[in-house]
Amino acid sequence: MRHYEVVLLIHPDQSEQVPAMLDRYRQVMNAHKAIVHRLENWGRRQLAYQIEKVHKAHYLLMNIECDQETLDELNHLFRFNDAVLRSLVIRRDYAITAMSPLAKEANKYQEPVRSEKRRVEVKTTEMDNEEQK
Amino acid sequence: MAYFRRKKVCYFCVNEMTDIDFKDVELLGRFISETGKIVPSRITGTCAKHQRLLTNAIKVSRLLSLLPYCDSHK
Repeated sequence: MRHYEVVLLIHPDQSEQVPAMLDRYRQVMNAHKAIVHRLENWGRRQLAYQIEKVHKAHYLLMNIECDQETLDELNHLFRFNDAVLRSLVIRRDYAITAMSPLAKEANKYQEPVRSEKRRVEVKTTEMDNEEQK
Repeated sequence: MAYFRRKKVCYFCVNEMTDIDFKDVELLGRFISETGKIVPSRITGTCAKHQRLLTNAIKVSRLLSLLPYCDSHK
C-alpha cells in the first residue's frame, strides 16, 4: 500500500455530478480496501489557461493509500470519463491530512456571507436602541 | 560613495521549509515574473536546493492550470 495524491479537474458543466462521481470512486476504493486520508473540494476555480476551450474547472483533491491495482483502476476511470479534463497522480511518502492552501482559499468565499449577517445583526440592535431612546 | 547591496536570503531556508507544495499558488506566484517565467535564483536569492524544488512545484502547478506558462495563452 502506497500513498498517493490525486488532483482532478472536472468540466464545469458537470460540476453537479461531482458527488456522484466521488461515490463511484469511493466504491472502487472501498472494494480494494483503500484508505482516503484527505478529500478536498475546491469548487470551481478560474484556470490560468484554457483547457478544451473551458475557462473554469471544478477541482478535487484526494490523498489516498492504495495498491497498484486500485490505482490502475482509478486511472482508467479518470481517462475514460469525459467530464475529467485533467488528472494528476503523485506518489507521496506519508499520509497528508492538513488542509491545503487552496482549500482555505475556497472556504474564504463563505466567510463574507457570515460577516454580512453580523452587520445585519448590528443594524437591528441599533434600531432597538433607538426605539428604547 | 560606498554602496552596500543588501544580502539576499533564501525565503525557504529562512522559513525552514523542507518541501514546496505545488498547491500553494500564492507562494509560487511570487517566484514567477509578469510574463509567467520562473524568476532566476540570482534575482530572488533562493538557494540552489530550494530553487530545484521550487521549479518542480511551479511546473506541476502549471500542468493543473493553477499557474500560467506565459502571459499570452490562446
